[in-house]
Amino acid sequence: MKAKIGFFDFAGCEGCQLTVMNLENELLQLLKLVQVVEFRELMTERATVLDLAFVEGSICRPGDRERLQQIRNRSKILVALGSCADNGGVNLLGSDRSLEVLRQHVYGGDLPHLYTETPQPLSAVVKVDYRIPGCPIDGQEFLAILQALLLHQQPELPGFAVCVECKLAEYPCSFDYGQVCLGPVTRAGCRAICIDGGSHCRGCRGLIDNPRTTPYHQILEKHGLTVTEILDQYRTFNIGEREKGS
Amino acid sequence: MIFKPKFNLISPKKPFSKQDLGRHQAMVAPYALSGLPDPPPISHWRAMQQTDVLRFVRSLLPAYEVLGVQNKRGRLFLDSLLDAADLVLEFPPAVHSPKKFLFPHWDQLFRFKLDENILLEPETAAPPRIIFGMHPCDLHAVKILDDCLFEGETDSSYRAKREATLLVGVDCTPDEYCFCTSLGTDRIAQGFDLFLHQREGHYLIQSGSERGLQLLKTHAPDCFSSEPESPLPLQVKQCSNKTQFPFESLPNLLQDAYEDSIWQELGDACLGCGSCTLLCPSCYCFNVQDKLELNLQDGQRIRTWDSCQLDHFAQISGGNNFRSSQADRQRHRFYRKYKYLWEKHQRTACVGCGRCARECLAQIEPVAVLNQLFAETPQLTTGNSPGAEYQPQMAQILEVRILSEQDRLFRLRLSQPIHFNPGCFVELSVFGLGEAPFSIASLPDQSNEIEVVVRRAGALTQALHRTQKGDNIGVRGPFGNGYPLEQFTGKDLLLIAGGRGLLAIRSLLLAALARRQEFGRIILLCGARNIEALMFPQDLLTWHQSDLLDCRISVTDPQNDWGLSALDISYLFKDLELNPQRTVAALSGPPAMYRQVNPLLFRLGLDEEQIFLNLERHMKCGLGKCGKCRINNICVCECGPIFSYSSIKHLAEAIER
Repeated sequence: MKAKIGFFDFAGCEGCQLTVMNLENELLQLLKLVQVVEFRELMTERATVLDLAFVEGSICRPGDRERLQQIRNRSKILVALGSCADNGGVNLLGSDRSLEVLRQHVYGGDLPHLYTETPQPLSAVVKVDYRIPGCPIDGQEFLAILQALLLHQQPELPGFAVCVECKLAEYPCSFDYGQVCLGPVTRAGCRAICIDGGSHCRGCRGLIDNPRTTPYHQILEKHGLTVTEILDQYRTFNIGEREKGS
Repeated sequence: MIFKPKFNLISPKKPFSKQDLGRHQAMVAPYALSGLPDPPPISHWRAMQQTDVLRFVRSLLPAYEVLGVQNKRGRLFLDSLLDAADLVLEFPPAVHSPKKFLFPHWDQLFRFKLDENILLEPETAAPPRIIFGMHPCDLHAVKILDDCLFEGETDSSYRAKREATLLVGVDCTPDEYCFCTSLGTDRIAQGFDLFLHQREGHYLIQSGSERGLQLLKTHAPDCFSSEPESPLPLQVKQCSNKTQFPFESLPNLLQDAYEDSIWQELGDACLGCGSCTLLCPSCYCFNVQDKLELNLQDGQRIRTWDSCQLDHFAQISGGNNFRSSQADRQRHRFYRKYKYLWEKHQRTACVGCGRCARECLAQIEPVAVLNQLFAETPQLTTGNSPGAEYQPQMAQILEVRILSEQDRLFRLRLSQPIHFNPGCFVELSVFGLGEAPFSIASLPDQSNEIEVVVRRAGALTQALHRTQKGDNIGVRGPFGNGYPLEQFTGKDLLLIAGGRGLLAIRSLLLAALARRQEFGRIILLCGARNIEALMFPQDLLTWHQSDLLDCRISVTDPQNDWGLSALDISYLFKDLELNPQRTVAALSGPPAMYRQVNPLLFRLGLDEEQIFLNLERHMKCGLGKCGKCRINNICVCECGPIFSYSSIKHLAEAIER
């Protein structure tokens, strides 16, 4: 009996679902293990019961809460897929100003049919059993977590920072190139893909369990950043996580 | 700096049993058989032009996987070489170490299948490889890996790779992070198959093993049969970054630094990212985990690098983390590098390659840390004048108190505060007669004053008895570990002193009384031949009358003014009631007393770890050098004089004679 899995989305770019669909090398093997019963990007069928629901996006539109609650009700296990679902992610970038100001700024007027609330992670509405961080998620990590869940094991995320994977891959340190990097406080699991690409870590996978914010901020200050600039570093992906680290 | 117990010194040095010997041989035999470069053959030197090196590598490529430093995406990596022309032989020390090939981060131990309910393929044999171009420090790092991974149960996965890999060394130029010269790892005499020494416009190739020689014979026959060159002396480098003390002092330096505030400073600065250990060429701590294929049937058990700097490293079952602060983790790292593994293998587990410091965002640099510790440790100053460690400082006699006809107490003032644990000792000098060790009998109050008691016996002690208030004598020390008072807090203390053993026990008792509320019951059992031999009669009477402790006294001489029955110390145990679970016993006296009292303590229910014996009588030079304090395989002045019973019970010479 194959496990029934489904994919759902709320406010987000659908990049995490796309990452799953991009696993071409593994998809055929994967379909021997699971039955995809609902996936709006792929199929029109709906499912009444699911073993595993992977949910992408943040909760902010009217009706989102009810829809998420319904997904929860018909799923044995619910997994937050990607940072929007996990901690609000980039959707929270506008959270430092009022919704009115934001609407005016984005839409240039009052358009009631586009009303949204401040985005929230799934966990603000329903019980989230597991989470897969990242913007987008890492395909291999998705597979590893799916594997664990299919074997009724507890999936685990790396507890260490991106620096570990960065050193293992022998990438040069972003700081050596004068770039501020969130790698030292960001959860590994991405194989330092951004550093590999010549960029720096922006912290899309959220903070590690025990981020050393004090020494990290000292290092940022040594690199000439002010407190506001340091906090700005976290803004892209970690507004929803900031309370963890400070 | 407070003298801390040195118990960790003792444990690894259990005496060899036959069984151990068997294991030792098992460890050595495959290593020797493997053709690894130890011991070295007669070394063989030949000149090699740059073009010869290129031709040599070309010839190797079809037969071996040749790993060499090469430029990829604008940076230098050690990796599998496809074209000999890509090989870079002059590369900076920043290039990551060859550990990744000898002890890889992702190392398959075996494969398994779930449906067949277990196992299957052991790890496949390693491919024949040559690491072409290793700096001396990295060759030394391989020796450390050998020490650790061939010890005891040989790590076969490492051995397979090690045996199949030939090591070709090459000269280097240290940068500002290198400190190999401080650790003696800037040069290497053996531990490689071949070594390329850079000369003006060419190389001198030195063979370091039979395998290396054969490699040269097969793949560089012209070079092999060319005229021999005369050997170079060991090539010594220059580093600006260096420790201010010889590396042999490292274990001693750390001995007393366990509680140093520097660890907290490091902990406060450290990001806990683990880069230092991941980049280290000799760090090998690992995790073992299973990796399943997507079919959920096939899998492999793999070994991946771990780091003592990461959060989960010291997490044990139940979720508790026994090394949860970053300060403790940094300390552990330094202790393991410079002390623990030194004690096991007589080699620091650091080769001074500087990689940890070079890539540490928090700029934690071993040399700076060690030099700071050294600067805080005045008693270790040995560097300047030869023999300085033997040279006493002058101390003034503040008071001479006549305790008995034989015994005088001297109160001494030193030029600087003296930090010691109860049970530590000093060497007193009378110039012209020499020096002798004496236990410190006073409260360890961090002041610059101490009390010692001198019993008149030989020429030196007689001379000391002739000194007077205001005179100066020589003092060297303090030495030794002392009683582990911090371990005793919260416990009931059973202090047992025989004769002059009361000197150390007095210091311990005064220390305990100064923090009376931190201990449970305190019981002092004091025995001597006669009243005159009771070292501190006045103190004993005061303690006897005090509510703070239970002080019991016995003398064996029936003619005594105190009206004591003539009984030995075992009599004091007669109606002794104590809770063995919460009691620690600190003993100080002659071996005969230990032989008599130890069985009584066991009968009371104390176990071997709760009994601490003072072997002060064995002390001699205090420096662990003269060899006189060695009891079987233990150096008393280095690891003692205070020992738990369990750590010395196997030593016939300690208690039995």
